[in-house]
Amino acid sequence: MIIIKLFLIIVLSIIFILFAFSTKKRTFQKLFVVFGYLVLVVFIVDPGYSDKVAHLFSIGTGKDLVLYIFAAITSLINIVLYIGSKGHDSAITKIIRENAKKDAKKCR
Amino acid sequence: MLKVVLNDNKNNEIAIVIPLYNEEFVIEGVLKELKSMYPQFALIVVDDSSNDNSYSKACLEGIFLLKHTVNLGQGAALQTGIEYAIELGCKYVVTFDSDGQHDPKDIESFVNRLKMGDIDIVLGSRFLGKTQNMPISKRYLLKLSRMFTWLTTGLWLTDSHNGFRAINIKRFPNFEIKQNRMAHASEIINIIKTLEMRYEELPCNIRYSEYSMGKGQSMWNSINIVFDYFVGNLMK
Repeated sequence: MIIIKLFLIIVLSIIFILFAFSTKKRTFQKLFVVFGYLVLVVFIVDPGYSDKVAHLFSIGTGKDLVLYIFAAITSLINIVLYIGSKGHDSAITKIIRENAKKDAKKCR
Repeated sequence: MLKVVLNDNKNNEIAIVIPLYNEEFVIEGVLKELKSMYPQFALIVVDDSSNDNSYSKACLEGIFLLKHTVNLGQGAALQTGIEYAIELGCKYVVTFDSDGQHDPKDIESFVNRLKMGDIDIVLGSRFLGKTQNMPISKRYLLKLSRMFTWLTTGLWLTDSHNGFRAINIKRFPNFEIKQNRMAHASEIINIIKTLEMRYEELPCNIRYSEYSMGKGQSMWNSINIVFDYFVGNLMK
């Protein structure tokens, strides 16, 4: 059990380092990531805490709470990635359009 | 009437913008027909990175040929063509499909209507014209899209997804299509409302053939179009 917990904490720490030290993140985003990291570490070390927090929000058990948080975070990440990809689409379109106009030819 | 339009087209006043994607079997015929009927119009073809020989087939004498190096979609190709027409100094832009469905004869009435000056955009409607061989499923799909357009823009059109349009681009240089793919048709109706453009629908004949129907929009793609449209609006 301890090995699994250690493994989870190591994986979580790697993800935390990647997110928290990314230069593009704003301060409140970094604080949110730090808070999320600490909460998850506590939940891994002592799953009993997740039950207590779950009861505070009138959610069945800690497992349900973790599942809901996971679903919410996954959805949020998907939306952020989608918006980001749309932004890239727009930039790529602009570049391709400018090149097309620059290389336009009148056929002879 | 046609002669008046043609003689008036000094310095590329009128452009026909044709988005092109994988139409190697028909594009040559479409362009030859347009060239013979409207020799003084600027014909602008935007190849949207076709996988076949469309690009080389479209390179007929006098055609302005542009190429997207990556496939972006019909909306993007139209916008590229419109921007190029503005660079050429064109006043009016006609958007015309490359698959041979549209009838070049209709261009004359569209341009003449724009030239009267009291209308900023003319929209083609297949329900006002003689449309041949339209499948029933297509008819109902278009009726649904008509309702959708009304719900999202408040404009009640007889045909909201017709690629045949004529635009007074000189009056509206800020006419900008941002939807790269097929949702541009709904977006254009939104642009009409936002820019307060004066519009009118005119009949246009659509020639449905086995070839063109094989390349038509599927029901599933309609769902993608609606999704793109809403996401595009949310991200404005």
